[in-house]
Amino acid sequence: MAEVPPTRMNQQIFKGKLKAAQGGHKLLKKKADALKVKFRDYAKNISETKSGMATDASSAFFSLTQAEYAAGNFKQKVAEGSMNARIRVGAGVDNVAGVKLPVFTKYETGAVADNQSLGLVGGGKKIVAVREKFTVLLDMLIKLASLQTSFVTLDEALKVTNRRVNALENVTIPKIEGVLAYIGRELDELEREDFTRLKLVQGKKEQEEKEEMKKKEASKALKKPGKENSADITAAFDATDDEDVVF
Amino acid sequence: MTTPKPKEGTGDIATFNIQHGFAEALVRGMRSSFLQDQDYHHLTQCETLDDVRLNLTETDYADSIADFNSLNPTMLQKAAVDKLVTEFKYLRTQTVEPLSTFLDFITYEYMIENVMLLLKGALSGRDINELLEQCHPLGMFKESTMRSIPTFENSAKGYSDLYQTVLVDTPVGPYFSKFLQESAMHRGAHSRNVLEEVEIEIIKSSLIKYWIEDFYMFVESLGGDTATIMGDILKTRADTNAVNITLNSFGTPLNEPAMRSSDRKRLYPAVGYLYPAGTSMLADVSDEDELGRVLELFPSYSAIWSIHASGTGDKSIDDVFYERDVQALELAFESQFHFGCFYAYVKLKEQEIRNLVWITECILQQQKDEIEKFVQVFSNTAPWRGKTR
Repeated sequence: MAEVPPTRMNQQIFKGKLKAAQGGHKLLKKKADALKVKFRDYAKNISETKSGMATDASSAFFSLTQAEYAAGNFKQKVAEGSMNARIRVGAGVDNVAGVKLPVFTKYETGAVADNQSLGLVGGGKKIVAVREKFTVLLDMLIKLASLQTSFVTLDEALKVTNRRVNALENVTIPKIEGVLAYIGRELDELEREDFTRLKLVQGKKEQEEKEEMKKKEASKALKKPGKENSADITAAFDATDDEDVVF
Repeated sequence: MTTPKPKEGTGDIATFNIQHGFAEALVRGMRSSFLQDQDYHHLTQCETLDDVRLNLTETDYADSIADFNSLNPTMLQKAAVDKLVTEFKYLRTQTVEPLSTFLDFITYEYMIENVMLLLKGALSGRDINELLEQCHPLGMFKESTMRSIPTFENSAKGYSDLYQTVLVDTPVGPYFSKFLQESAMHRGAHSRNVLEEVEIEIIKSSLIKYWIEDFYMFVESLGGDTATIMGDILKTRADTNAVNITLNSFGTPLNEPAMRSSDRKRLYPAVGYLYPAGTSMLADVSDEDELGRVLELFPSYSAIWSIHASGTGDKSIDDVFYERDVQALELAFESQFHFGCFYAYVKLKEQEIRNLVWITECILQQQKDEIEKFVQVFSNTAPWRGKTR
């Protein structure tokens, strides 16, 4: 702080800096708030999805049990089938207050389901039910994955933003204000010094003038007291005699 | 079709016991190994799988689960199936013709599953030793066949060798070649392509169809009570398959008009109460309403269909079929001087294993509301015994 020379130019510069810092602080605060809202939103969403998934998962796995009761063990047959994925997960990007959040979306690859006639001689309907339930579960799982990843990213972004806001609020802005105060103080000090110096100079001059006047009067009174009034006052004024007053 | 006609029949009330009395006595002795009403009651009250294990130690499963420190449905299923297989193999060693052929016929169903598993697995490049472990133990082939299977390499060539040199020689090989022949005639494709293109379930259904037909012919040629009782069971089985295939084909390519007569119709067994009038009508069915209209013409199926169509959700059509099967099998088991009781024994044990798995799964997944939804075997409270719970 001390290394900043207390000049008027620096004062202007720091005033500009303060303004920028305050503006940045305001904007970051807004961003942090927006992120916080979104963060809460995601947290709520995640807890909802999770609690929903608990029942969905158990019902999906139970439907598998039901299907195995009706159709025998068919896991093996599913494993034997072609292993071409019918559903893939694509990653997109969502922009929240300048933070890029990953969003996973499910898309069908268009591969043909090859196990359609599973459970043909019994339990086919149950297997269809299992397929539906697990598709729902998969959807939820993808949604949850998307939410969780966003949540983590958002958490990180929120932390960074909060840190910046706090840094601006508690470090940068006070620092600049300190510098400004210091400059102001120094400048005032300088001004006061100048003022006293001026006062001193003026006082001295007045005294000198008085003495001169006394001298002149004394000499006039000695020379010709009658012509006293005819003497021009302006004759005593010399424009070059006086120093310029600089404020 | 493939199995030679038996040289002699099963014998009647006077002569049955000369040849098959001991085996029948054995299987009747196993009646006591079934879980009782009270066992089921105890099991369904269990809170944890440890309780289940404890309760099972008081049943016939005690020895099978003696080594288990903990229990899970898969382990229990494996142990129970192994127990059944041991008992069945013991029975098989005590029998003479034609009963031994009859028992072999029972295993063919599982063999078909195993052949499908091996072929399809080998085709998709799986390790064959791994596949062998997953085969149903009741449908295992001869020792020599089993040993030679893993020697084939994991390639297209090795796989076609596997089919041509080994699987053709298994008892279910003829069903397979018949299927391939028919498909080749039908679409003019090479056997390899057929296996790759046709869905595994459709091939399996075709093979099961041939098996049912063959089995039916066999029991018919045995004559006597066996023909009557086993004939009835197999006919019902054939009908069940036909109805199920139709019902489960809705929403799959099999229901497309072109496929209905060419592919779906070929899956209907050529025996059964629905054959031929019913199955020819079923061939044109395109949705559940039409299926219902066809089944209305057959009193025994209209009752089953109405349960399905009412759609209350308590009972699916599979449950109804199971219930009816259990009833027929219990009757078959309890009558005498025929081979049906052996088949009934295996199938009822299978149902019992299914029940055990169901109960343990329900306990494991905390689904206590659903735990009663299985078909009890030899229950005193079954609806057909005329008592109420």
